[in-house]
Amino acid sequence: MYESFFRNFNSKVALTAEEEALIKNYLSPKKIRKKQYLLQDGDICKNIAFIEKGALKSYSVDDNGNEHIIQFALEGWIIADLYSFLTGEPATYNIDAIEDSELVLINKAAHEELLVKFPKYETFTRLNITNAYLAMQRRLTSIISSPIEERYSNFIAIYPDIVQRVPQHMIASYMGLTPETLSRIRRRILSK
Amino acid sequence: MKTKQTVAVIGATGNMGSAIAKSLSKGNYRLLLKSNKQDELDALVKEIKSRNGNADIEAAVCPVEAGWEADIIILAIPYEAEKEAAERIREVANQKIVVSIANPLNGTFDGLLTTPDTSAAEELQKLLPNSKVIKAFNTTFAADFSTPVIDGKQVDAFIAGNDEDALQIVSELVATAGFRPIIAGDLHVSRTLENMQLLLIRLGMKYNYNWLAGWKILHN
Ligand SMILES: NC(=O)c1ccc[n+]([C@@H]2O[C@H](COP(=O)([O-])OP(=O)(O)OC[C@H]3O[C@@H](n4cnc5c(N)ncnc54)[C@H](OP(=O)(O)O)[C@@H]3O)[C@@H](O)[C@H]2O)c1
Repeated sequence: MYESFFRNFNSKVALTAEEEALIKNYLSPKKIRKKQYLLQDGDICKNIAFIEKGALKSYSVDDNGNEHIIQFALEGWIIADLYSFLTGEPATYNIDAIEDSELVLINKAAHEELLVKFPKYETFTRLNITNAYLAMQRRLTSIISSPIEERYSNFIAIYPDIVQRVPQHMIASYMGLTPETLSRIRRRILSK
Repeated sequence: MKTKQTVAVIGATGNMGSAIAKSLSKGNYRLLLKSNKQDELDALVKEIKSRNGNADIEAAVCPVEAGWEADIIILAIPYEAEKEAAERIREVANQKIVVSIANPLNGTFDGLLTTPDTSAAEELQKLLPNSKVIKAFNTTFAADFSTPVIDGKQVDAFIAGNDEDALQIVSELVATAGFRPIIAGDLHVSRTLENMQLLLIRLGMKYNYNWLAGWKILHN
């Protein structure tokens, strides 16, 4: 239920068995089926979700009803509407499951208490947020300055597992392309 | 809340479990029903689906699986059975809302099995220290769910618990079932709520209310 969570935690900061047992008290195991929502925009994001197994995505929906995928998350990753989680404002993202998944949820009150009681949890959180920040910067730079082909090549180089698991139309949405444009780009790259 | 919550009902084929399942199936909930009586359970799921094609409802294989998927777990079982059920779901119920509906009545319906310094809800909280135990639905009879308005008045339903968020979420459940939710206070207020139902049962037997009775706070 928490294997992947603690493996990930220990790879960042090593915990004693006793600390693991204490931290477990604050975690909530949650199964979610494919296509189910973890969060809908307009609600307040009450949890950070760590993915034990499966795959989720966060996305925003524009005024025309089009989905724009913000982030994918596979095993070992974290997903949330961090803005909403940290400020308590309504979420602007939706989060749903791409596959049947197993999550470890950390609610706001548990998160705050863990930060105060366990300096190692604070380190874990800092590393997670730093990684999220780096990924966001990389994504932003690529969106505003790289040619489309290079963006796609970079994406498959960095996230080969996402390309394997996630349908093409979702990857197109993530890249800000129509599925047709994406398949044209893939053909061009393959023919090189 | 827009995000659909998943509710597990343990003991779903009982009087209360089936009444709760039927009334919540009309709301924005995904229901996972668990009972040891598989035939009755399948029939209940079928009945609810045939009445409401939009109902998001499923029979669950075991309480652990149901609890693992759930955001809210309702124990619609007798007080005496809660210890064993709590032990089974303890791990998957961590940090989740667990609704205690039990009235710990004795065999002769003239007293409670609990001592005055505790309640069924507080005993459940001790068994599930990392869950958010909320008292609800204990002051409404199973029959009230199909008639939440009695004598022209919407029946009040009291809620008690220690977690503000959880109280709000359970208030929405209670309102979906058709009752007027009233947050009564901390979990220890359950002692009063459980005694209120003992009184209502006694009065019902004495004056023949035929199980269709409820509490209503009059105020200006
Ligand atoms: N009836 C009311 O009007 C009312 C009102 C307020 C509160 N309550 C409370 O709601 C709870 C359920 O009451 P109910 O009237 O719905 O009872 P019920 O009709 O007898 O149903 C109880 C269910 O609990 C399950 N169960 C699990 N362990 C059990 C055990 N050791 N002995 C008996 N049943 C067991 C059974 O389902 P399985 O097939 O899964 O074993 C059974 O269907 C009780 O705690 C009661 O105090 C009842």
